[in-house]
Amino acid sequence: MSLITRIKGMLRRARLDHDLDEELRSHLEMRAADNLAAGMSPEQARHEAQKRFGNTTLLKEDTREMDIVGWLDEAARDFRHALRMLLRNPGFTVVAVLTLALGIGANTAIFSVINSVLLHPLPYHDPDNLVMVWESNSQHPNPHNTVSPPNFLDWQTRNTVFSSMAFIFDERDNLTGNGQPQEVVVQDVSASFFSLLGVDPIIGPGFTLENGQPGHANVVILSYGLWKERFAGDPAIVGKSILLNGHPQTVVGVAPQNFQWFIKDGSLTSAKPQMWSPFVFPQSFHDHKQIGRFMTVVARLHPGATHSQAQIQMNAIASRLEQEYPDFNGHWGVNVVPLRQQISGDLRPALLVLFGAVAFVLLIACANVSSLLLARAASREREMAIRTAIGASRWRIARQLLMESLLLALIGGGIGVALAVWGTNALLAASPRNLLDLRSVSMDLRVLAFAVGATLLAGLLFGFLPSYISAHSRISETLKEGGRGSSSANRRAFARNAFVVAQLGLALVLLTGSGLLIRSFVRLIGVDPGFDTGHLLTFKIALPRSKYGTDPLCLAFFRQLLDRISTVPGVRSASMENYPPLAGLGAATGVHLLSQPLLALSDLPVANVGVVGPDYFATMNIPLRAGRLFSAQELAEEKHVTIINQAFADKYLHGVNPLGQKAAIYMKSFAENEIQPSEIIGVVGDVHQMGLDAAPEPTVYWPYPELVYSSMSILVRTSNDPVAMVSAARNELQQMDPELPMAAVATMDQLLADSLSRSRFTMLLLGIFAAVALMLAAVGIYGLIAYSVTQRTQELGIRIALGAQRRDVLRLVLGQGTRLTLLGVTVGVLAALGLVRLLSTLLFGVSATDPLTFAGVAVLLGLVALAACYLPARRATRVDPIVALRYE
Amino acid sequence: MRKPKNDLLQGTLALLVLKTLARGPLHGYGITLHIQMVSKDILRVEEGSLYPALHRMEQDGWVSAEWGISENNRRARYYRLSAKGRKQLAEEEKNWERLTQAVAHVLQFA
Repeated sequence: MSLITRIKGMLRRARLDHDLDEELRSHLEMRAADNLAAGMSPEQARHEAQKRFGNTTLLKEDTREMDIVGWLDEAARDFRHALRMLLRNPGFTVVAVLTLALGIGANTAIFSVINSVLLHPLPYHDPDNLVMVWESNSQHPNPHNTVSPPNFLDWQTRNTVFSSMAFIFDERDNLTGNGQPQEVVVQDVSASFFSLLGVDPIIGPGFTLENGQPGHANVVILSYGLWKERFAGDPAIVGKSILLNGHPQTVVGVAPQNFQWFIKDGSLTSAKPQMWSPFVFPQSFHDHKQIGRFMTVVARLHPGATHSQAQIQMNAIASRLEQEYPDFNGHWGVNVVPLRQQISGDLRPALLVLFGAVAFVLLIACANVSSLLLARAASREREMAIRTAIGASRWRIARQLLMESLLLALIGGGIGVALAVWGTNALLAASPRNLLDLRSVSMDLRVLAFAVGATLLAGLLFGFLPSYISAHSRISETLKEGGRGSSSANRRAFARNAFVVAQLGLALVLLTGSGLLIRSFVRLIGVDPGFDTGHLLTFKIALPRSKYGTDPLCLAFFRQLLDRISTVPGVRSASMENYPPLAGLGAATGVHLLSQPLLALSDLPVANVGVVGPDYFATMNIPLRAGRLFSAQELAEEKHVTIINQAFADKYLHGVNPLGQKAAIYMKSFAENEIQPSEIIGVVGDVHQMGLDAAPEPTVYWPYPELVYSSMSILVRTSNDPVAMVSAARNELQQMDPELPMAAVATMDQLLADSLSRSRFTMLLLGIFAAVALMLAAVGIYGLIAYSVTQRTQELGIRIALGAQRRDVLRLVLGQGTRLTLLGVTVGVLAALGLVRLLSTLLFGVSATDPLTFAGVAVLLGLVALAACYLPARRATRVDPIVALRYE
Repeated sequence: MRKPKNDLLQGTLALLVLKTLARGPLHGYGITLHIQMVSKDILRVEEGSLYPALHRMEQDGWVSAEWGISENNRRARYYRLSAKGRKQLAEEEKNWERLTQAVAHVLQFA
């Protein structure tokens, strides 16, 4: 079409529009006049005349769009009109609004958690320049290994990328005096720790650099919580002295309420700190031979230095240290991790997967609403055609429909945000302890902006296609065909089919993800922990060195305590271990089997070291596989014997009989000539020390006298509820030493449940989202088939009249549903194959492309979809041919 | 889809309008009145159907339109049947007879 004809066409249309306007007005006036003549009141006469035109406005609209006031006026009118249309179809409106509220609400809820966990500013000065510095060994998988003090000192003097570095290691100490003895978690830190983070105490001067000098380190900063609970928020606390492990310490400050420093990797207590104390390195900390790796290190980048520059320089320093101390630093490198990544690290994959899942739910919800709008648009086709015929532009019509969509989205979004506030609190209540580490999720501006964004996007997303199709329908066709079989009707049918296929596909992806998580959870709880977790109580006792300074004192204390607890009625047996299983901690070191060649320390086989008390294996119910258990004598004094687990024998002895072999365990010293080798006297079953999802590690067990810890976990096997025995056990403890607190009291079943909590929680949430997706998709395909049955009533009536059987009709209708379902499942399986890889870090014991899961969810989705189709199909078989033929 | 109540059988609107205009030029309102009156109030033309139909017929060249003054002195758009429209009318009348006869046969037979 040439430009001239086009302009001519435009001019002609403008003239036609004007004519139509005039014409219709004259029609209205004539009708009103006749009505008046028939005896109506003028008001009534006009109103009746208007009414016969339906709700279409007849006033000229194009000219109004020229100026802004007119535009606003139009918008307000569109809004009122949209509101009227929604109120007129309450069923449609309620379904659409609820669907959207569900989608937007779920998204906002998950986003608010992400906002708090991943995006919220950390309570430190300039947190983006803070990094964690770890050691990492190319032979072992842990990228966040704790740091050795001598290496820390070398890093500190050799690097030029950090403006400052600080170390942290935590321990449990006994706080005594003023009230019940209490075990507190104390972080021993560099004196520069607080200034590095840029945090000032709310009261008191805090640490000075002088506190890092020998003889000046007897000061502490209290956490806000401890200050409030233990010291009743005493405003004059600064300068007062407290007793820590029997030593006086001066309080020099109280940390801000929101301040905490808890890095799970590398924490020795797995607990949040209640107190900080500066620590001065003793001479032994300067010698690689005398001290292992146990500290965490935080550093602040020089202004302008980047994370990767720091990594490159630290790599260089590490490789020099590797050459200088090959025995100690062989295979050891450095890993620099931004603090934010460190903190959110293990939550990140789960949160991102959940966020993806809710985004899918929102997409499905949008497809549903869009589909509903398309169905409704078809029945409003005549209205739109008339509006077009009497001069409304396409843009005008599209705008009108988009306004309706946006209004729907806004109402849905409003309800959704309310749902989200409620939902996040439910989410937090349902989330396991220590998982999210949030008491409340704030609805800040960012969350609100997200909700508004999601709402508008959803409105445009589901409103666009229906408006576009309606605005581009051809009037003449519409009027000729009465809205059926026209090209826009075909386009609508295609769009709705596509929506249903997309919905089924999206739902299948979610179901697959959820199915995989369920499968891996089932695998996980099916893992035998290697010991009996039922009726097993554990708590921790830390003996202050001031009072129990020698090994015989500790030995005697624990022996007596275990004897006393064993005799309590209801206790079947009692024992102890340095780090009980499932608590997330363990000690590990290199072991040299004397029958094998001596390697550099860093190349030696690595084993966990379990230091255990009498009756340990019987109390834990760990089976003996070969040899014998520790004798009473070996449990009373150092006899240089050890028991290994099956994993140790399998990994390091390769079928050689372990019994009688000698092993040098590098625990008390790193110098071979200082180590008295232990004889292997038995082999026991494997225990999952670090959780069910971690494979059992090679372990050597020592009787307590071989390595005396001042802090041990007591294990009590009871006949009945273990929690009921806590007070009896405490009673025995208090009788022996009223100053000793019991810490980390838990049952093994509880620890087991905690270790599964994250998997369970992620599985639960994804399961809920998948169920919602399935439901929405089912509603989607139900709606489509029901609509098409209504549309085909006449055709079905004729078929039945011509002798089609119930079976034939059923096949006809279900056939349509089946085709869509198969297509949806195919699309979904392909999408899922691409997307489930993102889940792989959350899976255990099941492949991301597990065929059983894929087949299972495909069948489930297929059945649900067909069930949703069956309802309208059954209705189709009951079509009365007489009624159907009279239908149009 | 809700069925518009009291609407004309599809396709018959054009026939009725053409037939009405065969008597002479008339405006839209007059057409509705005429059909309603002659059919003794059984057939009622909805404005929503009429104007789009007239518009289409004008585009198809079956009718032409011009502005005039109505019997009670109002400006109104008068539609006039064209030669093409007359041919169409004959065609549609023939179709209609065929249809009614066919229906009558069925009714008599049954």
